[in-house]
Amino acid sequence: MEGIVLALLVCLILALLTKHLSAPVTPFYILAGIVVGTSGLKIVAADDISHFSTELGLIFLLFFLGLELKPGRILSNRKTFLASGLLDLNINFLIGFGAAFLLGFPLIESLVIASAFFISSTAMTVASLIENRKLMMREAETIVWMMVFEDIVLIVVLTLLSSSLAAPALFVGEIAAFFAVFFLISTLGRGYILKIMNRDDELPVIFTFSSVIAVAFLAQQAGLPESLMVIAFGAALATTDPVKFEIQAQPFKDVFLVVFFVFFGIGVDFSGGIPLLIIAALSLLAIVSKFLSGIAIGHFVHGKSGAGIEIWANTIGRGEFSIALATLYGSVMVSTIIAGLVITTSIVGSFSAKYSDRISQLFRKWGLFQKSPS
Amino acid sequence: MPLRSINLPGIGTKYELETEKGDVLAIFFLKNGNIQMYTLPHNAAAPSVAELNPAEARRLGTILSGAIMEADKESVEMAFSALSDLRISVHTYKIGRPMAGKCIGDLQIRAKTGVTIIGVSRGEQNTINPPPEFIFEEGDAVVAIGETDQLKRFEHECMVQ
Repeated sequence: MEGIVLALLVCLILALLTKHLSAPVTPFYILAGIVVGTSGLKIVAADDISHFSTELGLIFLLFFLGLELKPGRILSNRKTFLASGLLDLNINFLIGFGAAFLLGFPLIESLVIASAFFISSTAMTVASLIENRKLMMREAETIVWMMVFEDIVLIVVLTLLSSSLAAPALFVGEIAAFFAVFFLISTLGRGYILKIMNRDDELPVIFTFSSVIAVAFLAQQAGLPESLMVIAFGAALATTDPVKFEIQAQPFKDVFLVVFFVFFGIGVDFSGGIPLLIIAALSLLAIVSKFLSGIAIGHFVHGKSGAGIEIWANTIGRGEFSIALATLYGSVMVSTIIAGLVITTSIVGSFSAKYSDRISQLFRKWGLFQKSPS
Repeated sequence: MPLRSINLPGIGTKYELETEKGDVLAIFFLKNGNIQMYTLPHNAAAPSVAELNPAEARRLGTILSGAIMEADKESVEMAFSALSDLRISVHTYKIGRPMAGKCIGDLQIRAKTGVTIIGVSRGEQNTINPPPEFIFEEGDAVVAIGETDQLKRFEHECMVQ
């Protein structure tokens, strides 16, 4: 218990500091975890309470992802969505997978590394677009749709990784059955759910919290991946009033996600030899590969490669979803590498997003990616 | 003037308007309730941005929609440009000794001046749309509505006696 209190206090101080400097806070939570945890001072170790709390963090992160999935919106922007999303996926996933495989990781671990390598941090990207006042850029819209595409890829990856453990056909059938039940409940019970969520007493928050953890528990009992079930539950509830659910779930997500990040850092173990060289090489590659995909998207979607610099500068940071993948399916070695990847790319990414104008200018000075005459 | 709006996941709603002269305005209603307004002048490379809180945005909205509120210390004038420049003034007054103890009906405020008393604040208690039988006390704060000329008349005929 005292471990989690200490960890949260450290995070509170870090949050105050980074908000003051308007820097992303996630990498510092992980760093703090590394400092006080297994690889550092060994003051804090994981226990039952921290396990439960980190699980809540992950569950609420994925529940939010589900709430944000609105198929109608995606269909109305199909062209940009598919073009930018597929370029982003193909380039980064292949480079990540190739690198991991060449480093000698087995197939499944390479898949986990490649996914974590591919998926940018939605939270950091959105926050930096707003904070740096870049929403008006044409590229901003493309970037936002890329994030949605990445979320969908994440769902596919989660399905793939969890189905490899069970009989695929039965597994898919069970998942489909759960999905159907969720959507049936939220369609038939829509009026009742809205009535609960519109009350101004404690009922909405109790309903949100207990239904989400009940779904996670049921999934566990049925031997199905909680992650997918919680996303599906969020997506089903999004057909009622997603904003109401977001308001109620936000405090749980915010607090437990901090615990999730810091205990992820605490679990990082350098005792098997610090894979610093691998981390450095992979992080550098992660920055370069987003550059390549950014330029390609700029070229094919916006008709000028220069637009890709903005896309690149705003999508370098990997974050919450990479860590979620590492937690769910990564070995200690893989988690440690992904921790390093997230820390470096998110710090580099926050600077590149802030100074993307100057970076573009620099490239133009070198005679690269001239703005097309318009 | 083409106007397009789009829902951006995780960010909010975007409205974009191109003016006749080729300037572009983009307005984002963010999820935290704030509004970012970008203006990109024709031929300019980078936009300038203002972030407004909801109250500031409403204020800007009333100015742009033509209902202009001019507030001085104790009065507000509203002009509705869409209604052939209808102007309404709202003024507050303190009741002095001359009017104390009289009721609205006896004073014939509306008949004599055209002004309507729409609210009275007495200590902690507020009365909206007071009836003609309502009796003033010294120190009451009243809110009167009318045209500027009518309010002037009210000041001369009723307040100063």
